[in-house]
Amino acid sequence: MGGGSIAETQRSGVIREALGYADALYNLAHRLCGRAPDAEDLVQETYSHALAALDRFTPGTNLKAWLFRILRNLVLDQARRRAPERSYDTVEGEESVNAVSDGACLRNDLELERMRRLVGAEIEAALASLPEEARLTVLLDLEGFSEAEVAGILECAPGTVKSRLARARAALRRLLADYAREGRR
Amino acid sequence: MTCEDVRIHLHQFRRGRLDPTAREGVRSHLVECGDCAQVQVEEGVLDQLLETRLPRHAAPDALRRRLLLLAPSEARPEVPAPPPRSWRRLVAPARAAGLLLASAGFYFQATSARRATALTEVTSEAINDHLRVLTSQRPFEIESTGTHEVKPWFEGRLDFAPVVPEAEGTELQLRGGALGYFHDRKAAVILYRLRRHQVTLLAFPAQELALPSGPLLLGPVHGWRSSARGFQVVGWRVGDVGYALVSDVGSQELTAYAARLAPQTAIH
Repeated sequence: MGGGSIAETQRSGVIREALGYADALYNLAHRLCGRAPDAEDLVQETYSHALAALDRFTPGTNLKAWLFRILRNLVLDQARRRAPERSYDTVEGEESVNAVSDGACLRNDLELERMRRLVGAEIEAALASLPEEARLTVLLDLEGFSEAEVAGILECAPGTVKSRLARARAALRRLLADYAREGRR
Repeated sequence: MTCEDVRIHLHQFRRGRLDPTAREGVRSHLVECGDCAQVQVEEGVLDQLLETRLPRHAAPDALRRRLLLLAPSEARPEVPAPPPRSWRRLVAPARAAGLLLASAGFYFQATSARRATALTEVTSEAINDHLRVLTSQRPFEIESTGTHEVKPWFEGRLDFAPVVPEAEGTELQLRGGALGYFHDRKAAVILYRLRRHQVTLLAFPAQELALPSGPLLLGPVHGWRSSARGFQVVGWRVGDVGYALVSDVGSQELTAYAARLAPQTAIH
């Protein structure tokens, strides 16, 4: 993010506001890393990068989205370091969440009622089994970001966010329906 | 619109974020297509599960301390005030007087410190939520000046029913609402405009939350008030629901409006 420069008098206020997003960043980091120590390291690294790059933050723009974008880029960097030969231009595992339409899987009232009774651990498990980029899109939407803001964080077109989110949510509904069915047995 | 088009737009349709043409296209398709109407119901179940059942991980205290150390000292948020001197004076003779009184003194000192901590934490959280509204490019999820439109919008989106109070006949104008978080729980963010000032009322489940209890009387409701970073916060609690009114208007004016709003939250 460029274009603006933050005045010395604004820095403290921006940093204080940024510290207020620690819970939201940690929640996302935990869902992406799966382990508390990794999530803590990721959030700390996010703040280190943000403070070092604070002069590139444009006052008046969305600070929370800027921080989330830094966190997401750090996750990508880590993935590239782990497997440098892979291409990260495409969505990881996108083929597994490719269908927006799931007409054949429509649930009846009884199955929906079972879905409504799912507990937090089952929802967490279903979310964790989504490919990382799909999970990230669902979580950013859940965090309250608009499509345009999510597109800014993921550095893609808003239309891509719209279709990716629809596919990810359809996949999540299928997974949760599976959990609800398994719970019946 | 085809089923494929509708399902791509369905989530934004449900959130009221489509332009009028697309909204009408989805709406008329849903009337005619049973499968897509069923998917809409399933989307509602998914929203409910994600918003009310998915646990939210809060940053551990150790991480918060490390983050504070990263920030320059002048940018660190206020720390809880030390216990008042009067308690220290009370504790000192208690040490000499005996173990019982010392224990009582310690209890009062600890209680006072806890109150100061609770007030600081709640104030900080309320101001952070207010700042999110101020910096958001699109703070509203429901934009309306009528409480009868804003209140029903929260139905099914929260696991409690927030009251959306109004101050009719005053300069405080209801503008809409959105979902947010207060600490680890989902909250109603109710937005008002007072002349050129943004005023935010947060309503949140207060169970297991250390809320300050103060002598401030807001009609029949006991509340508290505080300030930090140039913002004023007036809070109160009605049963299991906590409310915090935040703005940069003066403390007396905000308290006067809180006294108009708080009684309405108590009679529902």
